[in-house]
Amino acid sequence: MILIERAKQNPAHFAPLYKKYHDAIFRYVFKRVDEEEAAYDITSCVFVKAIINLPKYEYRGVPFSSWLFRIAKSELYQSFRDKKAKRTISIDSVQIGRVMEEFSIDENEHKREILLKVLPLLKDKQLQLIEMRFFEKRSFREMGEILELTENNAKVKTFRALIKLKALYAQHNPLK
Amino acid sequence: MIKILVNRTQPSKAEIAKRQDFNYILSALPKKNLLYSPWFYGAIGFSSLAGLFLFLLAY
Repeated sequence: MILIERAKQNPAHFAPLYKKYHDAIFRYVFKRVDEEEAAYDITSCVFVKAIINLPKYEYRGVPFSSWLFRIAKSELYQSFRDKKAKRTISIDSVQIGRVMEEFSIDENEHKREILLKVLPLLKDKQLQLIEMRFFEKRSFREMGEILELTENNAKVKTFRALIKLKALYAQHNPLK
Repeated sequence: MIKILVNRTQPSKAEIAKRQDFNYILSALPKKNLLYSPWFYGAIGFSSLAGLFLFLLAY
């Protein structure tokens, strides 16, 4: 909090906060865009916006990191609208396995392909929840803080997104 | 259309750290317009009053 108060007085004092959160913000952005360079550019924009809006930041139970992720989220969507970056889902095999486990489906190449095919069919808000919960292992509390939802609401909405994904999976799986 | 990248290689912590550039962030901040600064009006106001005072003193 002292660092934040100091940075509010003088943007040059934001440096320690930049160093502390740069990696996490970059990784958050990188997972959602197709090009590494675009991810670096968007990350820079996030910190510029953060410094501009810092005087408005007040601690009301939302950690500073979540406030930064909120800015990152809005910067990402701005760049998708401006077509500076393409919406991407970066996922690894372990994470796919985790979602399949949640569905109680045995994992195999064919089933994995179906899941990857139906993931983009989710609404973006549902996709964000699935991404944060299963691909980034975030807690419902943190998800709520970033997406501006209560913890309980984040839990309920993630559950609904999962049901929707399961339904889409069943529709697209000919070997039900 | 959403693009899905499976098992994508992520840059290492060191690579990301190397790309940190706080000076760029500071230079990208919008410059403060002097016209919106109370100091500007303070200085202008003070010099106007001083000028008026000197003018009255002279005549």
